[in-house]
Amino acid sequence: MSGLLNWILWSPIVGMIAILAIPKGNDNATRWTALVSTAITFALTLVLYANFDQSIPGMQPDFLVKMPWIEQFHIFYSLGIDGISLPMTLLNGLLFFLCIMSSWTVEKNLKGYFALLLMLQSTVFGVFFSLDFFLFYVYWEVMLIPMFFLIGVWGGENREYAAVKFFLYTFFGSIVMLVGIIALYYATGKGVDSFSILAMHGGKFTDMTVHIFGTDFSFEHLFFWTMFLGFAIKVPVFPFHTWLPHAHVQAPTAVSVILAGVLLKMGTYGFLRFSFPIFPAASVEYSTIIGVLGLISVIYGALCAMAQDDIKKLIAYSSVSHMGFVMMGMAAMNTQGMNGAVLQMFNHGTSTAMMFLLIGVLYERSHHRWIVRPDGTKGFGGLYTQMPKYSIIFIIGMFASMGLPGLSGFISEALIFLGIYPKFTTMTVLALIGLLLGAAYLLWAFKRMFFGDVNDEVKEYDDMNLREVAYMVPLCICVVVFGIFPSPILNIMKASVGQLVDLLSKY
Amino acid sequence: MIDILKLSVQLYAPELVCVVLMCLLLVAEAMHHEEGTDRTKVYLLATLGLVVTAGLLIMNLGAAPSAAFYKAVVIDSFGTLMKLIMVLGTLGALWLAHSSKDIYSNLKSEFAVMAVGTLIGGMLLASANNMLTLYLGIEILSILSYVMTSLKREDSTSTEAGMKYALYGGLTAGVMLFGMSHIYGMLGSIQFAEIVPKVAELQGADQVFLMASFLLFFAGLGYKISAFPFHMWSPDVYQGAPIPVTAFFAIVPKMAGMAVLIRVSHLFFAGDGALSVAWVGLLHVVAALTMTVGNVSAIGQDSVKRLLAFSSIGHVGMMIMGVVVLNEVGTRAIIYYGMAYLFMTLVAFWITSVLNDTYGTDSQAVFRGLIYRHPVMAIMMSIVLFSLAGMPPFSGFVAKFNILSVVIEKKYYGLAFIAALNSVVGLYYYMKLIKEMVFSKAESTEPVVGFTDSTRVLIVALTIPVVMMGIFWDGLMGLSGGAKLFLQ
Repeated sequence: MSGLLNWILWSPIVGMIAILAIPKGNDNATRWTALVSTAITFALTLVLYANFDQSIPGMQPDFLVKMPWIEQFHIFYSLGIDGISLPMTLLNGLLFFLCIMSSWTVEKNLKGYFALLLMLQSTVFGVFFSLDFFLFYVYWEVMLIPMFFLIGVWGGENREYAAVKFFLYTFFGSIVMLVGIIALYYATGKGVDSFSILAMHGGKFTDMTVHIFGTDFSFEHLFFWTMFLGFAIKVPVFPFHTWLPHAHVQAPTAVSVILAGVLLKMGTYGFLRFSFPIFPAASVEYSTIIGVLGLISVIYGALCAMAQDDIKKLIAYSSVSHMGFVMMGMAAMNTQGMNGAVLQMFNHGTSTAMMFLLIGVLYERSHHRWIVRPDGTKGFGGLYTQMPKYSIIFIIGMFASMGLPGLSGFISEALIFLGIYPKFTTMTVLALIGLLLGAAYLLWAFKRMFFGDVNDEVKEYDDMNLREVAYMVPLCICVVVFGIFPSPILNIMKASVGQLVDLLSKY
Repeated sequence: MIDILKLSVQLYAPELVCVVLMCLLLVAEAMHHEEGTDRTKVYLLATLGLVVTAGLLIMNLGAAPSAAFYKAVVIDSFGTLMKLIMVLGTLGALWLAHSSKDIYSNLKSEFAVMAVGTLIGGMLLASANNMLTLYLGIEILSILSYVMTSLKREDSTSTEAGMKYALYGGLTAGVMLFGMSHIYGMLGSIQFAEIVPKVAELQGADQVFLMASFLLFFAGLGYKISAFPFHMWSPDVYQGAPIPVTAFFAIVPKMAGMAVLIRVSHLFFAGDGALSVAWVGLLHVVAALTMTVGNVSAIGQDSVKRLLAFSSIGHVGMMIMGVVVLNEVGTRAIIYYGMAYLFMTLVAFWITSVLNDTYGTDSQAVFRGLIYRHPVMAIMMSIVLFSLAGMPPFSGFVAKFNILSVVIEKKYYGLAFIAALNSVVGLYYYMKLIKEMVFSKAESTEPVVGFTDSTRVLIVALTIPVVMMGIFWDGLMGLSGGAKLFLQ
């Protein structure tokens, strides 16, 4: 079992090489290779899930991989998995598999598209597996390259601007973080384990100071904020969210799904794996700020979503709003809040992926995404009569997104509210407004798109075909099953989250 | 005396090979004088000579540092590594010149002669151990550079660039000599070994005066490495000079100047006296301003040559950060940086050169849609540009990482943050070029003539180290074979 993480990490790369080796023009062979590759990877993540020991709080000893890489800097190729990264791993395995299915209709430069998608999958696994800060950083950055090209080449009209903005914004956050990473390396004493993330855990830097431009700063506080910047841009938290709507709107469907489904989670994962355990004192001290930023994201994101006429942009802003809940849950720093946050990361991954996939399905028929066109006419209308299967799946996804009881979003949001209520009572009440707004913008959009008279254009749309239903069904199952029965996900994260909460409660 | 001479000649063999090579090239040039003759043989001769030089340098690597020619030069691992980078850079520029149309065919052999000559100057600089050899090195390096710049005789920008280079160079060399004479006047010697102990003894006003002399000295050096505020010549010269010459300038004179800056800083300012504090402070400011000015000015450039010129100013700023720390890891970080930069620069200039030959301009527009015409070339160029911007897993990232890491080890966090912000700016303009290559549609779909099979293989071969050095760099930082870098 010990090499399983290696297999998961490198199997997409094998798939990528296979795709690059296929001669140009064999479109179907390319598609099937990509599908088989991601299917194998997804199967491997399920094997990982099956062999996961839920009682171990830290890294699973069975799966640890550690090999020297750069001995001079004590950099290791070290991988591991725990209860916080496993849900993300499953999500990553599942979503890429479904995304390949949804990308069946991509025509333009197919080889490059699938090769880059598989490369992206591998780097995302790398981010969630890395136990070495340098290795983590390499994956964190390399991930930007396939994203940049996927948005820039296969995106919408304004794709160049979106790709550049996305890349620059994230790069800015991460390069500032790099300074922090190196500072941590020297602060841990540049010994054998000094790039090891686990060795940095536990609040070892509380008493150190740094001297910049003639002023003394607390090491812990300064580098908490540099790391905060890197992760907050990724989440994205207000006011660092401005890259997100552009990237989402311009990106092709599959990339939007991955972006919302997995990549945003890398930011919140960063908080849980790095910021909180490495700088617990600063994290506790600034938890109110994190919470308030989360709250602003919730409400501001929801208000922005309500103002959108473009359905994809609406969902993009709803992501800002939902990730705000995750931030609030983390800021609560208690068991319910943290569990809720991690669960929300998973659930948002499935429900938003559904929404973006559904928009993709619609876009393939309509080639526009306007709820209301700029000239004031309705973009869609009466979809419900025209596309019943589509509408039912849309309703499931929408209600899951909204947090309707019985569907997955409800459980995680309820847990988050349970967590934050004792700590930030006022904010809880305000966040409930965000929830209300969430229901409002989704239902309003639904009304405008699905009810009313059938537009002439809409009359020509076919309902979802078998392939489209096939990749929606697993997500529907996730959303419904984990809404009623969340324990398969909750149980695996419990021990790891508990450990983190214990650490934070000491400060 | 004979013994000393014998030993010196032995140690100095790589440079002597270069001198012999230059003489042979002169003869060979004369034999291939007619218009239209194939000059490949001349280039093969030059390649042979440079390969021998590189081999001799590698053999020198492990040896203990020692002085030669009555301490006029010093042979140590540090100098040898810097020379190795310069030799490889010359070799690359040479073959670029062979295929480039930017160098008139009847001047191709001349280019080889002058490049080897400049290289000799650079190697002398990397070994200089007294003020006289140092000045000699600078002058050999400069005078040939002036000529090389204006090699495109009929082109007005090229001649203008040569003129600017010569005027600016003459002025700063004069200022530098003036500074050196003051240093000699105060300390009574031109030998570094004799000056160093005397520097420590200076007190009060003498220190101030010596610092002023070193500032004048720095002017000459700063000009060679195009550090702020002596960088103004560099964009014009880069743009005006033929592309192989530009590629050559980006590597050889820069590394030679860096070598001197490193050696002088380490020798004179290693302690923690007032002079050292002042020098380190100066380098701090110079590093920060050099990279900021370089990167910010690069944003608006349309000419790729000019863009690479400004970006090279930015990279020099990064390298100076490795001098600021004044320790051996810093120096190793610079050597790694130089090595990484060598390959990235060669690939970038090579591709630019081919496009420039086809379209007669190096505007970013000629890169448009390259991915649809020459996918492999566009991917190689993207790799190199990402590497220049410092993205992992390429060598540019490791170079940046090493430099940041030595600076942070010394706790110069402010400088580290400035460098970090600079790499964001850097990414922006590199990305603009990638955007042009990959995102835009090509105006024509015809293949570019210059990308012959051999050129493509060469470019791919030169890109491989860019990737490999970014992944397997364990041990690359300790290349000197465990020997001490410097002769103290």
